[in-house]
Amino acid sequence: MDTNWNDSLPIYRQLRDRVVAMILEGVLNDGDPLPSVRSVAAEYRLNPLTVLKGYQQLVDEQLVEKRRGRGMFVTEGARRALMKDERQHFLEEEWPKIAGRIQRLGFEPKELLDALDKIPPAPASSLKRDEEPGEGEDRE
Amino acid sequence: MSDDLIVARNLGKAFGTTRALNGVSFRVGRGRIVGLIGPNGAGKTTALKALLGLTRFDGELAVLGLDPYRQRHRLMQDVCFIADVAVLPRWIRVRQLIDFVAATHPRFRREVCEHFLARSDIKQGSRVKELSKGMVTQLHLALVMAIDARLLVLDEPTLGLDILMRKQFYETLLNEYFDEQRTILVTTHQVEEIEHILTDLLFIDRGRIVLDATMDDVQEKYAQVAVRPEHLAVARTHRPIGERQGLGRTHMLFHGANRADLERLGEVGVPSVADLFVAVIQGARA
Repeated sequence: MDTNWNDSLPIYRQLRDRVVAMILEGVLNDGDPLPSVRSVAAEYRLNPLTVLKGYQQLVDEQLVEKRRGRGMFVTEGARRALMKDERQHFLEEEWPKIAGRIQRLGFEPKELLDALDKIPPAPASSLKRDEEPGEGEDRE
Repeated sequence: MSDDLIVARNLGKAFGTTRALNGVSFRVGRGRIVGLIGPNGAGKTTALKALLGLTRFDGELAVLGLDPYRQRHRLMQDVCFIADVAVLPRWIRVRQLIDFVAATHPRFRREVCEHFLARSDIKQGSRVKELSKGMVTQLHLALVMAIDARLLVLDEPTLGLDILMRKQFYETLLNEYFDEQRTILVTTHQVEEIEHILTDLLFIDRGRIVLDATMDDVQEKYAQVAVRPEHLAVARTHRPIGERQGLGRTHMLFHGANRADLERLGEVGVPSVADLFVAVIQGARA
């Protein structure tokens, strides 16, 4: 993770987004502990309350759970839930735009599948240990 | 006792005809990290001196429930302070200095001080005059952070430190010093290096408080918009408090404007403390 914050969103929100990205990328797996508020605050020179607010947002979204006296942990099934949202987002928001562009450029499905074979597979971390049916089928 | 560590009401201080503090009122709560920010000569140091009982003042002031000027001795047991002009006797050895503070301050934790020093290049046998400017500052910080105080006052704490030492200083402060029982009041001109650490902002200019807000307030009520050229006229009807030119965009700062209205003008973001400072000070002087 780099330490550059952008000014379009509050920091706590960007922190939340980073943890989400780490869960999606498999850097953090279900049941893994989140780094302590204190260590994140020190490392990024943030107020501990800001870090806590970002973590609280994840708790509210049920992606992270507090365990009394032990800190914050990624909820079982968090990645699956996020993946579901991401997939839905892709199908509803991104795919229509991409599909429109494919149509405008007049591609046939076969041309695209052939081109896909030449693309190196995505890094293992981004899709590793995925038991969700149908994931990764676009690369087979 | 309430959670307010500092309660200042209508503080005043004049040097001859110059009013260094002019009706200054504010409160600081427990567990907060407050940035007292102002241009040179705004009254920052005078305000800090009043809080620490180093100068007389008009008005009411309670720090940890005490009158700083009359009860300074008791106050100092729970307060520690680093001045921007950190002076240590040049002839003294580091070890002697630690012995001195250990003997004079009841809340000084020698092992904590030695732990901080062990991470620097400072040797206990060295004399202050043999240390570099940055090392003297580090030594000062190690001495002060080793005091188990409830209120830490930092006046330009990282002046003279290089970028690596600055980063390390704030890391140490957050990781090993600060907790919800402690309160920090900090002044600095390097606002960008502390803006994400702060919970509260106090802007002071010409002896008056011109902004008193939590960082949450700032994020909610102030917005910076990169206004596209075609929307300039409309944007100005929303009465921006600050305006500066960027690449193909005019960055405007708004206070209390409707978010949806702003979204139509251009990209909306959170203003930096530096941008907010410039806008508020200019507004206060206009």
